[in-house]
Amino acid sequence: MHGRVKVKSTAQQEEEKRKEREKKLKIYVAARDACFSKRKEGVWDDGALQITQQLLSSNPDFGTLWNYRREILMHLETVKDEDEVQKIYEAELSFLESCLKVNPKSYGSWHHRGWVSTRLPRPDWARELGLCDRCLNLDDRNFHCWDYRRMVVKKSGVPVDRELAFTDRLIGSNFSNYSSWHYRSTLLPLLHPESPEPLPSPRRPPPRSSPPASPQNHSHRVCEAQLLKEYELVQNAFFTDPNDQSAWFYYRWLLGRAEREEMISCVLVSREEETVTVAFSRPVDPGGLMLLLDGQPQTVEWRSVHPRFKHSPVWICDLPPGTISDVTNEHNLTVHWMERHAHRDCALYTGRTESWCRDSATDQELFRSELSVEKTSVLQSELQSCKQLQELEPLNKWCLLTIILLMRALDPLGYEKETLAHFQTLREVDLMRSAYYSDLCSKFMIENTVLKMEYAEVRVFSISDKKLTTLCHLDQLLLVTHMNLSSNQLQRLPPQFSMLQCLEVLEAENNSIEDLEGVFHLPRLEEVLLKNNKISTLADLRPLASCPKLKRLDLRGNPVSGLEEVEAALTELLPSVVDLLL
Amino acid sequence: MGTQVKDVIIKPDAPSTLLLDKHADYIAAYGSKKDDYEYTLSEYLRMSGIYWGLTVMDLMGQLPRMNRQEIVDFIKSCQHECGGVSASIGHDPHLLYTLSAVQILCLYDNVDALDVDKVVEYIKGLQQEDGSFAGDKWGEIDTRFSFCAVATLALLGKIDSINVDKAVEFVLSCMNFDGGFGCRPGSESHAGQIYCCSGFLSLTGQLHQVNADLLGWWLCERQLPSGGLNGRPEKLPDVCYSWWVLASLKIIGRIHWIDKAKLRSFILACQDEETGGFADRPGDMVDPFHTLFGVAGLSLLGDEQVKAVNPVLCMPEDVLQRIDLQPDILS
Repeated sequence: MHGRVKVKSTAQQEEEKRKEREKKLKIYVAARDACFSKRKEGVWDDGALQITQQLLSSNPDFGTLWNYRREILMHLETVKDEDEVQKIYEAELSFLESCLKVNPKSYGSWHHRGWVSTRLPRPDWARELGLCDRCLNLDDRNFHCWDYRRMVVKKSGVPVDRELAFTDRLIGSNFSNYSSWHYRSTLLPLLHPESPEPLPSPRRPPPRSSPPASPQNHSHRVCEAQLLKEYELVQNAFFTDPNDQSAWFYYRWLLGRAEREEMISCVLVSREEETVTVAFSRPVDPGGLMLLLDGQPQTVEWRSVHPRFKHSPVWICDLPPGTISDVTNEHNLTVHWMERHAHRDCALYTGRTESWCRDSATDQELFRSELSVEKTSVLQSELQSCKQLQELEPLNKWCLLTIILLMRALDPLGYEKETLAHFQTLREVDLMRSAYYSDLCSKFMIENTVLKMEYAEVRVFSISDKKLTTLCHLDQLLLVTHMNLSSNQLQRLPPQFSMLQCLEVLEAENNSIEDLEGVFHLPRLEEVLLKNNKISTLADLRPLASCPKLKRLDLRGNPVSGLEEVEAALTELLPSVVDLLL
Repeated sequence: MGTQVKDVIIKPDAPSTLLLDKHADYIAAYGSKKDDYEYTLSEYLRMSGIYWGLTVMDLMGQLPRMNRQEIVDFIKSCQHECGGVSASIGHDPHLLYTLSAVQILCLYDNVDALDVDKVVEYIKGLQQEDGSFAGDKWGEIDTRFSFCAVATLALLGKIDSINVDKAVEFVLSCMNFDGGFGCRPGSESHAGQIYCCSGFLSLTGQLHQVNADLLGWWLCERQLPSGGLNGRPEKLPDVCYSWWVLASLKIIGRIHWIDKAKLRSFILACQDEETGGFADRPGDMVDPFHTLFGVAGLSLLGDEQVKAVNPVLCMPEDVLQRIDLQPDILS
C-alpha cells in the first residue's frame, strides 16, 4: 500500500502480468481455503503449521493465521515434552526472523515474536537483544523493533545505563536519530532523577504519592548535573550537523521547565456580585472544592465561566444573597481544595467592596524558572555558540528558534527587543510556519506584559502594536479591570476571554476581530471599543447581550455598522448601551 | 556533511484540480475486483477497506452507488459469538474491524444489524488492568485500540461501559517529551498514534491534558518543502498523513499552523488522472485507503466540493449530527 511506484508497460507486458497474477491468485486462494477448512475441522498439526507458514511468509499481516498458529502451538505444548516444545518455539523464532527480513514492519510478526518469547521454556533474551541490534542497524527508526527491544529489556532486566550507552553509540554514528534521542528522554529520568521536592507549604500541596502523567515529558525530572552534561551532548550533535532536526527537538525539551504544581493561584471575593471566584494553575474539575465563610461551610454550586469550558482554570460560585453585601461587615473566606489538601484564605475588610489574594507570576515561577548560577552560565555560553552558528547559517530556522528559547530561559524581559527581531527573521526564513511563529511570539509578549504588571499596576493590561495573533494566559488576568489590545492582528476573543471577570474597559481597535464568543457574562464590563475590526453580522454581537453593565460600544469601521436598520436592532439586543458609535 | 531533507518533488504537470468523478468511478468499481490478486491479499482488512470506500463515497455525495444490502448482510455474517466483528468471513474478530463495522452501519443508519450489547461486552472484555486495550484476545496492546474502543462505544452511546478514568490514565502515560504519543508507554511519537490519542482524549473530554502548543509545533513541523506532510521527523511525505496530522491539528485547535495552500497542492498532485484515486505520493499506485484520506484532508482544508468531515471520527459531519455525537475540539 505504500511506496509502490506506478510503472508504465506495453499491452503485451500487461497481459503477461495479468496471467502471472491470475496464477498466483489461484495458488493463494487454494492455500487460504485449505487453512480455513483445516482450522474448522480442528486440525492442529505440522501440516497446518506448514500451510500457514507458506501464506504468512508472503502476507504476514494476515492476522487470523497467526492466531491459528498460536492455537496449534498451544496444543502442541500439551502433548510434547519441554525439550520438544523448546525446539518447536526456536523453529518458530527462526521462521519469524525470515518473515521480519522480508517485512520488518509487520505488527503481526512482531507481536507473535513477543508471544513466542514469553512462552519459550528457556528464553534467550540475549539472542532477542542481538536481533534488535541487527534490525536497528539496518533501520534505526523502526519503531516496532524499538518497542520490541523495550519489552526485552524489561523482561530480562537490562540495566538502564547500558541502554543509555547504546543510544550514545547510535547517536554518535547516525544522522537519523530521533528514535534514539526519544529513548534517551525516557531513560535519563530513571537513571538520574531530580532531587527531592521542596517542603510543602499551606499553599503548595504535598507531592502526590501516585505517579503523575508520564515521566517521559518532564525534563525537570533529570537532576541538574546530568542535565548540564546532556546540553553538551546535544550541542555537539547540532553543531556537527545543524540540519539534524532531532537534536534540536530534544534540546527544546531540555530547555523546558517543570510543569506547574496544581494549586489555587487566586481567590477573588466581590460584595457587589456576591461571588467568590477561584483561579487554578491549570484546568480542573471543581469537585472537592469547599468554601468556608467565617468558619461556616457554605453550600454552593461552582460554575465555569463559559459553557464550552468543562475543565476551566477559573470557577465561580454565587453566595446566598445578603451574606456579604453589607460593607460594614468584615468576613473571612477560605477555599479548601480537598483532593489536593490545599487552601487559600481571603479577608474581606470593612469598607472594601472586594478582596483578593494572589501569588505573583514571579512567585509562581510562571514564565521563567529561577536558574542556578551554574545553569545560567551554561545557558549563556550556549546562547553565544548558537549566535555564532546563526552567522554561519543564517537560513537555519532551528538555530533561530533555539536562540529565542535560550533568551526566554535567561531573561525574558531583557531580551524582548532581540526576541521580536529574531521572530521577524524566523517568519521570513520558514514561511510555511509563519502562523506558528506569530502565535508563539504573541504568547511570549503576553508573558512579558504579565511580568511587567508585577512592577506596576496589576489591574491594567496593555499590549498594543505587538502583532498579536492569539490570546493566552487569560487565567492570569482575573483581576484586570482595563485591557488594551489595540492595533494588533487578533481575529477572535475566544471563550477563555470570559475569565476576565473584573474587566470594565476593553480597548481593541484596529484588529481583525470577527468573533466575540468570549465576551460573555462579564459582570463589570462597561466599555467595549471595537473600531476598525471585522464584525459583520448581528449574531456576532450576541455574546455582548450577556454583559448587564455594558454602556458604551464603538463599532465604527466594522462591516456590521453598514447593515440596514442595524441601530434599531442593536438597541433591542443591547438595551443597557447608551453610547453607541457606528 | 549535512542531512538532506527527505522529500518529493512535484512535477509541473501534476494534477491541480480535484477529479471527484474519477475517484467515485474508481471506488465504485473497486469492490467488483474479486478476482484481483491485491484485493484478495487484503482480505484480512476487508471491513476497514469497505469503511474507507463508503466514507469517501459519502463525502463525495456518491454513497447510493454502493450496494447497501450486500454490505449490511456481510457485516452481520462477520459478528462472532463473543460479540466482536472480523474483517471478513472466516477471519477472527478484532477491535479494528469492530470499529469499522460500526462506522459503516452508522453511515447507513442501521446499527441494529449487530447485537449491540454483545459488541459492548466484547470491548469491555478487552480492557486491561492498567486501562489499556488489547486488540483481541491475543493481547497486543496499542493506543490505536484505546481509540477503537472509545470511538465504537461513543458511536453506540455506551462510552461509560468501560473504566474511562483508567483508560485515560493509560493513554496519558504514552505522552512523550515532544508532546506526542506512541503505541505504548515509552514508544516514539507517531502521527497515526497522535491522531488516535487526540481523538481518544476528545471523546473522553480530556483534551485539556494535551500540551497543545508543544504538540501543535511537532505536528506543523511535519510539513515539508513540497507541501506534503510526513508522519514523524525525517520521513517522506504521504497523503494519509494529510489526515492523521491535519485531523490532530484540528482537534487541538492549531490547524492554522500549517500552510494550507501548499498542502492542498500536494494532495491534488497525488491523484491519478488515468485511473482515479489517490496514491501515497505523486506517481505511485492508488488505493482506497489513500483516496479516503486525500479527500478527507481536502475537506478539513475547507474544500466545498466535498462534505464536511468530522476530525475525530473521520465520518461525514451530517452522520454524526444525526446521532447527536459532537466530540470536543479545542478552540
